[in-house]
Amino acid sequence: MVGSPVLLIAVPLLAAFVIPLIGMIWKELVRIVPGLVLAYMLVLSVTLLVEVNQNGTIVETIAGWKAPWGINLVYSNLTGLLATIITTLGFLVWMFSYRFKRNVDFEPAKKYFIFLMMLVAGATGIVITGDIFNQFVFIEITGISAYALTAFYTGRNSAEAAFKYLMMGSLASSFLLIAIAIIYSQLGTLNMAEIASKMHTMDPVFKVIALIFFITGIGIEAEIFPLNGWAPDAYTEAPGPIGAAFAGVVVKAGIYAVIRMVFTLFDIPAAHDFLITIGLITLIVAESTALRQEKLKRMLAYSSIGQMGLVLVAFGIGTHAGVFAALFLMLNHAVIKPLLFFSGSYLVFNSKEKRISEVNGLGKFMPYTAGLFALGSFAIVGLPPFAGFWSKLSVLTAAADEGLLLVIALVLIVSVIEIVYYFRVVNRIFFQEYNKEESVVPHKPRFNAIIAMTVLAILILVIGFYPDAVTGMLHSASSDLLDKSGYIDNVLQVGQSLIR
Amino acid sequence: MRKFLVILILAVLGFYLFEAFSGLGLGFPRFEHGVKDYYLDKTVSELHVANTVTSIVVSFRGFDTLGEVTVLFLAVSALGSVLYKRRHDVGSRSILFASSGIVRSGSKLLFPAIILLGVYIFIHGHLTPGGGFQGGAIIATGFLLMLLAYENFRVSHHVLSYVESLAGIIFVVIGLLGFIDGGTFLQNFLPSGILNELFSGGVIGIIYVMVGFKVAAELTGLIYSVLHEKD
Repeated sequence: MVGSPVLLIAVPLLAAFVIPLIGMIWKELVRIVPGLVLAYMLVLSVTLLVEVNQNGTIVETIAGWKAPWGINLVYSNLTGLLATIITTLGFLVWMFSYRFKRNVDFEPAKKYFIFLMMLVAGATGIVITGDIFNQFVFIEITGISAYALTAFYTGRNSAEAAFKYLMMGSLASSFLLIAIAIIYSQLGTLNMAEIASKMHTMDPVFKVIALIFFITGIGIEAEIFPLNGWAPDAYTEAPGPIGAAFAGVVVKAGIYAVIRMVFTLFDIPAAHDFLITIGLITLIVAESTALRQEKLKRMLAYSSIGQMGLVLVAFGIGTHAGVFAALFLMLNHAVIKPLLFFSGSYLVFNSKEKRISEVNGLGKFMPYTAGLFALGSFAIVGLPPFAGFWSKLSVLTAAADEGLLLVIALVLIVSVIEIVYYFRVVNRIFFQEYNKEESVVPHKPRFNAIIAMTVLAILILVIGFYPDAVTGMLHSASSDLLDKSGYIDNVLQVGQSLIR
Repeated sequence: MRKFLVILILAVLGFYLFEAFSGLGLGFPRFEHGVKDYYLDKTVSELHVANTVTSIVVSFRGFDTLGEVTVLFLAVSALGSVLYKRRHDVGSRSILFASSGIVRSGSKLLFPAIILLGVYIFIHGHLTPGGGFQGGAIIATGFLLMLLAYENFRVSHHVLSYVESLAGIIFVVIGLLGFIDGGTFLQNFLPSGILNELFSGGVIGIIYVMVGFKVAAELTGLIYSVLHEKD
């Protein structure tokens, strides 16, 4: 008995309600219990992924009502892979921040761990649910945890960042709700598989409007270009590890929701071209803005937005190779960007302004952290022996197969921009003189943080030197995404065979 | 100029959206094969619940309700964490003028009645219109009335968080018991009883009572912490 997908949601919800009570017994428990829950989610998602690989997609019904009538969860190669990425990241972020506010203040620490756990659980829910309204509920859970974490340091700037995020997020929620209402009014169902199978009967006008509302709504979580105004502020003002959680957890779930809409629910071929266009704009705007940033975390945030643009471009190519490249990019980004956020937040730990110019010469004082930051930088720009190289290469080959020369040219140009701004930081860390007035006072990372960072670094090296370790999984996940009729059959078959 | 452009764009967008939406036909029986007939049929024949809205909210889409309860829980916690002060002694409230004797004695009289109405609404959620969310909100208005009428009316934060957590725990545990008993989360594992009686609908009634407690405790806590916020 390995458990079933619904426990990925039910157990963290139960823990969220239990934590305020057990916190009254022993304060340390509010740190330990979320970690145990996240570890359990990680183990469960991995074992389920292995099972799915052998026996095919798991479709789970809830409350005893079969697919079109009740809510169902779909744990397939694709959703399982993303859920595994999300839970892994969630666990590492917990490990990194285990001693957060320890011996300082109990109440905020308790809230922090509840929000972190719910952020991960909500993102997992977005990925594994098979029902659009249920997905909306999970987007709400993830969103509210994210606003709360952004506002965590109750200062002026973080309040502003959180307010901006809250406003955009609420607008996004109402757009999503309108889109769901349009679909329900036309098709009479909320089940993703049934919507996909009935979509051809829907009036094209409503179809386009619903898709626009969906992409605008989810695009805010997925950091698509004109809608990502919240991201740089939120990444900068939230506690250090939360930037990693945003990049590795929230954005991944948002991207999944977008591609599920475009690939499975809606049958609008032009949507792929739209993804390429909007992805390229996001990529170019974000990367050129990142070049001008003076604060480290803002630069990482813009780089993260740019990477998501690249992911959308790769999905927009629409072939198996394109989807494979996009998933590979998502996996690599989920491994590399958190490492950069983790090590970056230790580099500027004692600084108020968190400026890039303050990291001069830190390589001498904290060689391990600085080395990991350099490793992350090399990996994300795509230098050969590291993980990022293979994903960028697969994007380029996928684009070349389809003859999209403009895409290839722009991706290469943008890579040069990326090299410039990442190497600028690495250069400052290792080759500039440490200056007492300007540079930050070095801060030794804690043991748990070192472990979390080392795990990510090992993953980068493993994927870099032996990409075959993950490509098999990614290939089956991409065929899973492209197999629309397989998805519909899997979900609705359960509905037919178990009718009472 | 810029404002004018923004208004123009919004107007054009609004016009086209209105055009599209007026064609949606909301409220008309448009589809024959939707989920609605199944819901109407199963609510009476299988769940033995008189109120179809409740059966949809708590059973067919119970997972969403669990999610929404969590959303409320997170929103209240988030507000608490934003308003939290390091040395948190709950300060006295700033009051412009004291409430009159009529308000004070009137609210004392109304308070038990409001609580009773709220409890009635969530206990009868599966029989009559209303349910956990509505009943909980009504109870919270009762506490709001008392807080407005009496300057020094106190609600224990500990009790509120006990009630809130226990109600949430019972909701999830009922779901897990259904999972152990029937194989799917939130499945009914109690006898469904006779239609239109208080003890009918299996777990639906229990879940809605828990939702009622939870919503009442959360909204009361929300009002309390906002009223006592001063800087």
